[in-house]
Amino acid sequence: MTGQHKYSVLLPTYNERENLPVIIWLLTKTFQENNIDYEIIVIDDNSPDGTLEIAKQLQKLYGENRIVLKPRSGKLGLDMSHHPKFIPEMIRLQQANNLDIVTGTRYAGNGGVYGWDLKRKVISRGANYLATVLLRPGVSDLTGSFRLYRKEVLSTLIASCISKGYVFQMEMMVRARQFQYTIGEVPITFVDRVFGDSKMGAMEIVSYAQGLLKLFVAV
Amino acid sequence: MTRATEAAAFFGIIGTLYIALLFQWLPITFSTTFQEFTLPVLPWWALVTFGAYSLGNIGYHVMTFRDCPEAYDELQVQISQAQSDLRSKGISI
Repeated sequence: MTGQHKYSVLLPTYNERENLPVIIWLLTKTFQENNIDYEIIVIDDNSPDGTLEIAKQLQKLYGENRIVLKPRSGKLGLDMSHHPKFIPEMIRLQQANNLDIVTGTRYAGNGGVYGWDLKRKVISRGANYLATVLLRPGVSDLTGSFRLYRKEVLSTLIASCISKGYVFQMEMMVRARQFQYTIGEVPITFVDRVFGDSKMGAMEIVSYAQGLLKLFVAV
Repeated sequence: MTRATEAAAFFGIIGTLYIALLFQWLPITFSTTFQEFTLPVLPWWALVTFGAYSLGNIGYHVMTFRDCPEAYDELQVQISQAQSDLRSKGISI
């Protein structure tokens, strides 16, 4: 279905020796079933739990052309909240409309979340509404991180973005609109942290608000 | 133009227009009721309307925020499939 295009999946990891094999297994299954040419780039931040070691085992199993290891610092986390099954759908939408970016959305269509209580839903919805009013980005899910980018679009965006974390995800969308890139949306389900603890706390909310205001003034 | 300058421009124009109407600097005449009772409270009305819309918007979207237990169940099954398949291929998990 994909012609000559190759798709790279970027997986930032920190202490994910439990999650990583399962995710790579799911990704591989999805790509093989849909005949998609792919590579999975594991960007590990010196995990002390041996994530890199297990990544090497997986590299042996699936091949060095499929699993690429790039040690790097960044302390981003990966989890199984986003299921690879939506990737073929994102690719189809991208190809049908020749889009620059396709982003997954929990907030539209048949999208949704699992494992969130009312408080988390209110915070999430409130934060997203605030961002929509202030930034008018034209996409329904600003803070999501499940996205498909054209390679050159991604490099341009990364080079022009100044923020980190959650805010970085928002800035990517706002800058994309500024550069007049075309963006499509695919509804996705978000299953909250099957293993491990959620990394979101009160500090996240404060830094979210600060980041939002910074973007309001800067972009 | 950044979003902040856009907002400043918008509120600047609306604000100037409003003050001009409120103090009758423009050659436009409204009915006495509108000029003396409606105009002075118009900004508050706008604020309350915006607040009500915002709360309604967030409330509606929280209410319709879909739980997706089927996605969780599917993932659980696939995780155990993945683990047993990978173990059989010699990955140490």
